[in-house]
Amino acid sequence: MPKVTIDGKEIEVAAGTSVIQAAEQAGVRIPRFCYHDDLPVDGNCRMCLVEIEKFPKLQIACGTQVTEGMVVKTQVESPKAKEAQKNTLEFLLANHPIDCPVCDQAGECYLQDQYMDNGLHESRVVLEDKTHKRKVVDIGPIMLDAERCVVCSRCIRYEREVTKTNLLEFVNRGGATQISTYNNGPITHEYAGNLVDVCPVGALLSKDFRFKMRVWFLKETESVCPGCSTGCNTTIDHRDGEAYRIRPRRNVEVNKSWLCDPGRDLYKTIGANRLTTAHRAGGAVAATADVLAEVAAKLKAAGADSAFLATPNASNEDAFAFKKLAAVVGGRLDFRVGNPQDKVAVRRDPILQREDRHANTQGLVDLGLGVTGVDALLADCKAGKVQVLVLQDGALLQDAGVAEAAAKVPCVVALATHQGPHLAVAHAVIPVAMWAEADGTFTNFDRRVQRFKRAFDAPGDAKPGFEVALDLLSRLGQPLEAATAADVFVLAAAEVQDWADLTHRTLGSMGRAVGSAAAPATA
Amino acid sequence: MASNVITVNRDTKPSYFPIFYGMWLTLRNMLETLFVKGRSATIEYPEQKRNISTRYRGVHLLTSREDGTPKCVACYMCATACPAECIYIEAGERPEKTIEKYPTRFEIDLLRCVYCGFCVDACPEEAILMSRENDLVGTSRAELVIDRENLMHRGKLAEVGAGYRPVDHDVRRPVRIAALERLASEHGIVPGMPKRG
Repeated sequence: MPKVTIDGKEIEVAAGTSVIQAAEQAGVRIPRFCYHDDLPVDGNCRMCLVEIEKFPKLQIACGTQVTEGMVVKTQVESPKAKEAQKNTLEFLLANHPIDCPVCDQAGECYLQDQYMDNGLHESRVVLEDKTHKRKVVDIGPIMLDAERCVVCSRCIRYEREVTKTNLLEFVNRGGATQISTYNNGPITHEYAGNLVDVCPVGALLSKDFRFKMRVWFLKETESVCPGCSTGCNTTIDHRDGEAYRIRPRRNVEVNKSWLCDPGRDLYKTIGANRLTTAHRAGGAVAATADVLAEVAAKLKAAGADSAFLATPNASNEDAFAFKKLAAVVGGRLDFRVGNPQDKVAVRRDPILQREDRHANTQGLVDLGLGVTGVDALLADCKAGKVQVLVLQDGALLQDAGVAEAAAKVPCVVALATHQGPHLAVAHAVIPVAMWAEADGTFTNFDRRVQRFKRAFDAPGDAKPGFEVALDLLSRLGQPLEAATAADVFVLAAAEVQDWADLTHRTLGSMGRAVGSAAAPATA
Repeated sequence: MASNVITVNRDTKPSYFPIFYGMWLTLRNMLETLFVKGRSATIEYPEQKRNISTRYRGVHLLTSREDGTPKCVACYMCATACPAECIYIEAGERPEKTIEKYPTRFEIDLLRCVYCGFCVDACPEEAILMSRENDLVGTSRAELVIDRENLMHRGKLAEVGAGYRPVDHDVRRPVRIAALERLASEHGIVPGMPKRG
């Protein structure tokens, strides 16, 4: 463990740490363009120059490893380093078109940030004398603007090391260097969105987010992607109750800095076609409280002649409350429609995606929601043994087997997020919140419990699923001592193996891995 | 006793002269405004209009390019600077690659606007200016949320003339940089977004 001094502050860092990382640990952010935490070091942008004692010249902080007793002066302490960074920035900006007003990167652009920190110089190159390159080049999900590029090669290294597709490369030389795909062909893989994130400037921008919103209006909420069992950490960017984009949030244990494009697209499901009010059979709108009262009465009457079908998309809190509801009523309970638990850890591709397209299959396995067996449950429905069938997600009715079974049940209650013709079978429909609208936790394929936070309120009367279950429990006369998702999680943690010391607070923003996926699933 | 306190001799006899003088002044002003032409402070609005400053902050207007399209590039700077949050913009794609962006919708809620002129200051393209138009009449609230076309073709502009508009950039820029440096040195405030990975 070498000890280094950075700007007079002595810290001990792991051997092999680069100066730029060590400085970050010491609380100093050295400006950079080409350095990225999850990409190999290239050292081409020369922005991170720092003064290191006993070195005759300034060194790049990203490409220099710390050694015992090294004394580093960054731009904070060293006027020489500050001056070098300022000059580097002026070179990088020499041919920059300065079209910030029309550039979507404005607000999260390294060039802008560093111009405010180091630059503030008047340009010595008039706009007419600048080298002009290709603008507004459509390369599939990405818009390329070669003029804004600082030739840092982050995107090229991403293509080479992460997706291994090598779709981008430099063409031409010297001042005319620019990035290009072969024949301006499109980016074809499912991880194109990350190119936008790795690009420190506005050269690679998302076509989907193009001109939608200026980023400084957006609020960030930490979340977890519900698209598959990998559980990538994300940030939801939203304004006035509307989500505009989803970005990856760095978590070295799960997704590093990456997120797949299908995961990014999930923000579109939040605003579209949502269910906002409770319905009775035939689509008659009703007050949620009235419908819940009727459902509670039906459940009380049905008792053991009821069935509860949970969804592996539910959060641990929703699932636990739903399980308690099933236990209090005494009905059948399962969630394994289509056997997602068999493919929870099966990879779809070598990068992030997994075959199980549900957020929380492992969580429901751990919580023990697989009780009756789906086949037995549905068979009982078809045989007319079930008086009330409660579906935790209306979308379950899109499964042919479930829809067929539900058609034989005299009372079908569906909690649903979205509208759709499949809900016509249900006799009572209750609107519930989606993951962006509730607090909760998902357990990923690796039994890592991760928190997601409420970004904004659910539309209309929709409430988080656990609140609906808690409401029904209190109407049944057996209330649960919980009001918030954190309360429910504490109750759940007491019942699950390995969860003993977990609370929302201790999970933090990065989540906690408990046990291992190989541990026997409780049932 | 502090040195800036003065002592006044109040032991003087009252005089009636100032009272009569004041009454005469009032009477004279009244008679002059009634009978002497050009002496009155009142004007016959709306037939007569007061001469207002060329930097008056009235209803906004959007400037156009030579081909009649808006000069605005939908950068949202005005909407960002607006303290009343009365500007709503939606951006679209322009065919020219050097311009790229233009507002498909640009609406200003004139009832919400506080006519501070920050939008004009913020605009990097001199696309939004203010006119000297100040007699705003409408029969509904919705009517006074004016859209892009309306802002580009304010009918009364020829009549009332342009008002508040940006000063020359060369004059303003050193002032702005000096202000930024002062902010940083005296208050340690560095404008800009928080750092992102």
